[in-house]
Amino acid sequence: MSIFHKILHWLDDAAYVWRHELRQVLRDEGVLLFCIVVPLVYPLLYSWIYNNETIHEVPVVVVDLSHSQQSRQFIRMCDASADVRVACYAEDLDDAQSLVSRQVVKGIYYIPADFATHLNRMEQGVISVYCDMALMLTYKAIYQTAMAVSQQMGAQIQTRLSGNYTAREDLVSASPLDVEEVAMFNPQGGYGTAVLPAVLMLIIQQTLALGIGLAAGTARERNRYGDLVPIHPCYKGINRIVWGKALCYLMVYAVMSTYLTIVVPRFFSFIHMAPWQNLLALMAPYLLACVFFGMTVSCLVRYRENVILLMVFVSLPLLFLTGVSWPQSAIPGYLQGVSWLFPSTFGVRGYLRLNSMGGSIGDVSFELRCLWIQAAAYFGAACLVYGHQLRVSQRHAQERLAYLRKKREVRKLLKTKTSPSV
Amino acid sequence: MKILKMNPIYFCCMVVFPLLTMLFFTTLLDSGVPQEMPVGVVDLDNTSTSRALIRRLDGFQSSHVVARYASVAEARHAMQENEIYGFLYFPKGTTDNLLSARRPKVSYYYSNVSLAAGSMVMKDLKTISTLGSAAVGQATMRAKGFTPEQIQTFLQPVRIDLHQVANPWSNYNMYLSTVFVPGVMMLFMFLISAYSLGMELKSDRGKEWLAKADGNIIVAILGKYVPQSIVFLALIFFYEFYIYHVLQFSHLGSWGYIVLLVVLQVFASIGFGIFIFGLMPSLRMSMSICSLWGVLSFSLAGSAFPVMGMDSPIQSLTWLFPLRHYYMLYQITVFNGYPLIDAWFHLVALVGFTLLPWFVVRKIKNAMLTYVYIP
Repeated sequence: MSIFHKILHWLDDAAYVWRHELRQVLRDEGVLLFCIVVPLVYPLLYSWIYNNETIHEVPVVVVDLSHSQQSRQFIRMCDASADVRVACYAEDLDDAQSLVSRQVVKGIYYIPADFATHLNRMEQGVISVYCDMALMLTYKAIYQTAMAVSQQMGAQIQTRLSGNYTAREDLVSASPLDVEEVAMFNPQGGYGTAVLPAVLMLIIQQTLALGIGLAAGTARERNRYGDLVPIHPCYKGINRIVWGKALCYLMVYAVMSTYLTIVVPRFFSFIHMAPWQNLLALMAPYLLACVFFGMTVSCLVRYRENVILLMVFVSLPLLFLTGVSWPQSAIPGYLQGVSWLFPSTFGVRGYLRLNSMGGSIGDVSFELRCLWIQAAAYFGAACLVYGHQLRVSQRHAQERLAYLRKKREVRKLLKTKTSPSV
Repeated sequence: MKILKMNPIYFCCMVVFPLLTMLFFTTLLDSGVPQEMPVGVVDLDNTSTSRALIRRLDGFQSSHVVARYASVAEARHAMQENEIYGFLYFPKGTTDNLLSARRPKVSYYYSNVSLAAGSMVMKDLKTISTLGSAAVGQATMRAKGFTPEQIQTFLQPVRIDLHQVANPWSNYNMYLSTVFVPGVMMLFMFLISAYSLGMELKSDRGKEWLAKADGNIIVAILGKYVPQSIVFLALIFFYEFYIYHVLQFSHLGSWGYIVLLVVLQVFASIGFGIFIFGLMPSLRMSMSICSLWGVLSFSLAGSAFPVMGMDSPIQSLTWLFPLRHYYMLYQITVFNGYPLIDAWFHLVALVGFTLLPWFVVRKIKNAMLTYVYIP
């Protein structure tokens, strides 16, 4: 056979495996759920949850013992701010605390009786802020609003005291240095914008691993000997099995990942700065790495339900290891080492930098290189485990064949033994 | 029933994986607050004033000046390459303009792509810029002969006295490990309770199992879940002991509340798992639903992004998630130490989740007796 024919034959076999796998995927409702329904619905659900991005109008209670013009000005300014709403007034701190306890408000502004007296005596006036620390975002809103209002009131008092002549002089004496704050890449400080890209990328990896694992489990259970690899002339080489199966999932996930990385961010107008060429350059190695990772994992589990137990619980730790919610520089070294085993770590970082921060391919070259290395390594691992599975199923086939032959011989023997007596 | 514990997957999911998760979160967040995060500087001014401010920034606990860049474009590039989280920019002539009261502009840039890192770096950069501003006023006033108290009062007439109730260090470990680890535990309990019923069906032992309990499904279920709940209770009590006693997480509520919370957590999750299996007596569907539900509950618990910030349909949806009620009960009674009556709704909800299997026991019995497992 010429080399051309060999290649053609190889392609033919791989295509058969591909078709067979696809049919299996479409027939198994568990796989369908994880490979089609979850990637379609979950991003929408998560985007909806985080759609409001930030919180506004956090309710607070005010304990105003000062009852002065200055204290009322402070309360009015806080109430007018975007993040805080003065929901109630309380007589004393105990009263206010019971409101926090009943979850009516999230914090307390306490203005002591001598607040205005201090200010008028040209001493520091102190306002106490009590925050419910169960929620970091409400704490930040309550505290930062109080800080901003106190600074603004302070500036007004400063200009009054300075005895300046012009507006410019007032400005200079209140703030000699003009400070500009620029929040880059996520200017509104939105929670969804920060977390969602990571969630989207993680969904791709987790559903792929779950889908492949479930499909492998089903194949094992359908098989008479509990083998992963069926006995069929097309399933005789490791490479063609691995590539055939991988092509099936790549086909499904080419569509899914386009939807996840391009369509969903546009639906909910999350930041999307990367052109499609850059995303393609990232997603190609990421998908390959994920598919081969899933295939490697799928060979390690015996029952198909066990893959759910294994993969689901790692989702949350993996999200933390990507460095989205907890800064990468603060992750201990050995955990960083563990995180290098999973494609999601590099996939999420690369996607964030390309799509949310508008980086170029050169900026994520390290991540891309790691993803290609992972894809190659997991391809090798998948080949190894599938080679093992192939040998096991061939051994089973031979045992069965030997058993059948033996049976036939025994039957023949019995026939020859019994026939003379008759 | 105890023979069932021979399957290695039970051991893995009930002991090994939960322990790994506990260890993972508590070590990952061990420092409590991120420290020494890399920031950069673009100092075109390069005077003793700007250098003093940069030294001060480096001295802060959570910031570490790792690099100086020649231009803003270069610093932005470094941010895109994930080398720094933010940078401070002094334009040329800042000090000159400052001394001649021409009000120069100083900017700080930070990346909010990682929210925790962004807000920490922002806080430091903001403080430094304010200090720079105050330093001028301070020097002028000192030259004019004001007392330190007078200077302090002039620079900051209204002072905010912050009280961070129950977590004065704003320790992220106390804030995340107390919700996410129980969440993962709940996930395991959902899955294991659905899995153990499903395996009976799959390996066709259902009739035998019912026969052991003399055909009484309630006795059968109780018998099946007693050993499991004992293992989970022991595990979670160990975790609570570890975080509150060894790691010294603060809790204003008493140990009685902690015990109550743990017991409710275990029984509500197992109840929920059985209920889902009862609704869909198929191993793979019930486990898939349990896992999807469990993963969603981390977002809908509302511990990171508050429920009050979500749309109202989602707000009502959160009631269906046991972790949400667990979190509310935890933060009201254990974390803040408020009276239990203020969390009565969530207490009732968790008890309700425990009793949910009541509605489906007949269906489970029916399934065990008649259903045949189809792969």
